[in-house]
Amino acid sequence: MSALPITKVRTIVDKIEDGGQGIKLFSLVDPDHWELPPFRPGAHIDLHLSGGLVRTYSLCNDPVDNKRYVVAVKREAEGRGGSIVLHDEVKVGDTIGVTLPRGGLDLSTDVTRFTFVGGGIGVTPFLSAAAWLKRMGRSKFTLHMIARGEPPLAELLAPLRKSGHLVIHDTSSGQRPDIAALVGRPLSDVALACCGPDGMIDDFEQASRDWPADRVHIERFVPPPLPVDPDAKPYVLALAKSQREIIVAAGQTMLSALIDIGVDVPASCCGGICGSCKVDWLEGQPVHRDRVLSPAERERSLLVCVAGSAKDRLVLDL
Amino acid sequence: MLDTLTPKSATGAVVPSWTGVVRYLHITPRAFLPMREMPELTLVAGKGIEGDRYMIGREEGFYSHKPEEGRQVTLFEYETLIALKRDHNIDLGPEEHRRNVTVSGVPLTHLVGRQFWLGETLLESTRLSIPCRHIEEITGKAIFDPLINRSGLNCKILQGGTVRVGDAVRNMQ
Ligand code: FES
Repeated sequence: MSALPITKVRTIVDKIEDGGQGIKLFSLVDPDHWELPPFRPGAHIDLHLSGGLVRTYSLCNDPVDNKRYVVAVKREAEGRGGSIVLHDEVKVGDTIGVTLPRGGLDLSTDVTRFTFVGGGIGVTPFLSAAAWLKRMGRSKFTLHMIARGEPPLAELLAPLRKSGHLVIHDTSSGQRPDIAALVGRPLSDVALACCGPDGMIDDFEQASRDWPADRVHIERFVPPPLPVDPDAKPYVLALAKSQREIIVAAGQTMLSALIDIGVDVPASCCGGICGSCKVDWLEGQPVHRDRVLSPAERERSLLVCVAGSAKDRLVLDL
Repeated sequence: MLDTLTPKSATGAVVPSWTGVVRYLHITPRAFLPMREMPELTLVAGKGIEGDRYMIGREEGFYSHKPEEGRQVTLFEYETLIALKRDHNIDLGPEEHRRNVTVSGVPLTHLVGRQFWLGETLLESTRLSIPCRHIEEITGKAIFDPLINRSGLNCKILQGGTVRVGDAVRNMQ
């Protein structure tokens, strides 16, 4: 039995394939090949790697392919280290904890045509979306892939090439495609999406500025933040008994900050109703948000799964 | 609901009488993974359900770090799924509430602390289940609030056996 709650989906590396141009494709499965938590086309997951590294990657398989998460990872020698660990250390059979899939493209049926623009490895969310759209019989989409020389991920791109959905823009000659021309004028039944390096995204943002916001989807290479309360602020959480201080990030729960440093707070519902994570506070001004404590109890205690801090420091009796 | 109120018993208390039925059976081997619909489940006395995350010895459930006898098998009312649709316009499937057995015609809230038959197996309920915020993360549906007080029943297994869809659920008496 583990002392702390399970917070990630346990996956096993089932296959590692060469995607060309320094890209490896990792296929992650459940140890018993059970179905994995579902995802929307173009969703992403965080991979928890050795050394505490957490990296976000888009899923590139069709959501109907529900027993695998396939991610494409380009080895970035100058990157922050996640891709190097994946390329150089991770082997078939290794265990990787991943988060539940988040985000994804809105492929609602009131849109009948899609224009996707992917720069290099930024094509990955659209591979998932394209497979899904084709299977749903919604074949009116174009994937513009901007790459230097022969594009990577040839095997995944081949069916789209064959069906005429893929347009490759080779920039090896120094010529970059005119993004404004790819985007065109706003049309009521068309949606746009772009994923790629910053410069390309900036051009795309400029080109799509007249489009309604709900028809434009942009994904940058930096990890997408978890949805947070826009007014949330980080604060210092001081633990009086153990004499430790930690920072609770904006939007993070006190509970997860405590779990991160190995403090075992009993928690059950994680929604402020069962009271099992009750802790006494000593100084500061908690924002309670629970639905079980009486005003008198709140004078003394809080529930760490939902409470926040109105001030920049809160002291707990832990 | 199939329950009816019987006349007053000898002691004067009103005793609900009912017979319910097993509508769906589900298990999953690990926290967060989708529940898989099964035609039958094998319940092992004092341990749990074969192949399920909370089977003792397996400990791969979201709450496995806090062992509890009542997690051996969990039940959920089919009527709650209907009420979610009627009162909140939420479509929740029997695979989404994350309890093992979906029953209809069984007044789960009456059964806390009591023994009853689930097919050929004998269960004893330890407490009402409470919803868990992470179910909203898994399903993407705002069901935490509507499930407060009707999130199912936690039970331990007194007598094991095979439970099949369509089996009767009966009071001990
Ligand atoms: S875990 Fe239930 S109130 Fe915090």
